[in-house]
Amino acid sequence: MSRPERLTEWLLGGVTALVLFALYAPALVVALFSVFEVRQQKVDFSSFSLAWYGRLIHNADILAALRNSLAVAAAAVALSLVLGLVIAFYANDPRNRGRRFLELLVYLPFLLPPIITGLSLVIFFREVGVDRSLVTVTIGHVAFLLALTYRLLMTRLRVLSPSMVEASYDLGANGWQTFRHVLFPHMRSALVAAGLLACTLSLDETLITFFLFSNDMTLPIRLWAMMRVGFTPEINALVTLILGVTFFLALLVSRRIALRGGN
Amino acid sequence: MIRPRAHLLAHSAAAFAFPLLFVLAPLLAFLAYSFWRVENNQLIPDFTLANYLEFFRNDIYPRVFVGTLKLATQVMAIGLLLGFPVAYFIWRRRGRWRYALLLVSVVPLFMSYIIKLYAMRSILGLNGFLNKALVALGLLDAPSLAFLYNQRAVLITMAVVYLPFAILPVFLSLERIPLGLIQASADLGARPGQSFRHVVLPLSLPGTIVGGLFVFILAMGDFVTPQMVGGTVGFTYGRVIQSQFGMGFNWPLGSALAVILLIVVLAVIGLAAAIGRRSRV
Repeated sequence: MSRPERLTEWLLGGVTALVLFALYAPALVVALFSVFEVRQQKVDFSSFSLAWYGRLIHNADILAALRNSLAVAAAAVALSLVLGLVIAFYANDPRNRGRRFLELLVYLPFLLPPIITGLSLVIFFREVGVDRSLVTVTIGHVAFLLALTYRLLMTRLRVLSPSMVEASYDLGANGWQTFRHVLFPHMRSALVAAGLLACTLSLDETLITFFLFSNDMTLPIRLWAMMRVGFTPEINALVTLILGVTFFLALLVSRRIALRGGN
Repeated sequence: MIRPRAHLLAHSAAAFAFPLLFVLAPLLAFLAYSFWRVENNQLIPDFTLANYLEFFRNDIYPRVFVGTLKLATQVMAIGLLLGFPVAYFIWRRRGRWRYALLLVSVVPLFMSYIIKLYAMRSILGLNGFLNKALVALGLLDAPSLAFLYNQRAVLITMAVVYLPFAILPVFLSLERIPLGLIQASADLGARPGQSFRHVVLPLSLPGTIVGGLFVFILAMGDFVTPQMVGGTVGFTYGRVIQSQFGMGFNWPLGSALAVILLIVVLAVIGLAAAIGRRSRV
């Protein structure tokens, strides 16, 4: 490498280090606050304690919100995977009509600003007389997650040769058996990756949920409400836990995707 | 394969039901609402352009809109100016480092949005880490209030929150460049800078466009970031729309304001697609 090249390389590395530091700074700050005491806005490094983590278990509001979020995520992930699969099968068959239109509808909530997806759904639910609840929140999440699960499942479905399915039928398998023994094993890892990705996004969704919740808050909405009226230090503990869990989930997803890319 | 008609019908119904019911119908309802009006806190179905005229009559709306357009453009510029070098640096690594760095730059996409805002608020505050660092470095004499509860705070926070959305698409399009092309360019006597300008940069354009679009659209519609770190002066268009659905209770006006946002976003997507197509030739 010549000198200017090496200089460029160092510069790029420097920018990368700075950017990564900026991206992780928020998480670091919260993690610090969760185990050290902050006196007069100064972190007291001698005061390590996990007390706030213990208090967390007794905060009924947060626990209820966590339960709501998990329920919504479970339902939204399951629904968006099943629908993603159904739509991918439909769009993958060139004989079917309206495939491009269907694809456009599926991608729209992902392309448009979330505020538009959120407010159009709340208007729709008002017009058809459905009250806001965790059910409407779940529908909002599915509308947004579907683009992602569909995309990942479709990518995987495209690389399956149609002759595999034909062979299965020729050998006398019916539709269900073909799905069970040919399609499903082929799609399994894509389903897991899409499910994990959808799960982390659902747990974090704020901007669409904001329009669709009523009394039962999801975790991000509860946190937002708590932060607006000032906060209790348990938030730091909770947030560190969530960051840990999402980091772990992200690690799982990317390992899967990286492994597949490596083959 | 012979398909029974009933089977096909069931599959079509299953595939179309959700997108038609929960994507198309809500968007149509939202468009319709923008022509309705409100009287004595009642929504009245109508076909009036009053909500759209209100946008131009009251000069606060165009002002906030242009301000938000500027803000989103700045966030996009920061995202690409910083995101591109990062993606490029990662792409140039080989082996383990490459995927480790990629992972590290993608994970922030999944870190809780609301929590990032909360953390950024404490970083940017009077006694926050930013002020401490600037004072320690001698760049400031005393901690400054300039970083929180204003437009600058919204800009910095959005840049941090949305930057990962720019890194990933750029990296993915860099990865699609065949290494042979760069080799060939070097063999033909191009210096590294020339190869970069004439081979790498044009071929990475699709990812750069997608990354820029993502950042721009997300920044354009965000209403939580400005509320958390923008204070009373950090008003953005998303916040204006959202307030019509909250205390303002003027859903038709909110819808019309959102339709204007939608049109601009679609125009920007169309423009980006046109640039992408032209550059491919």
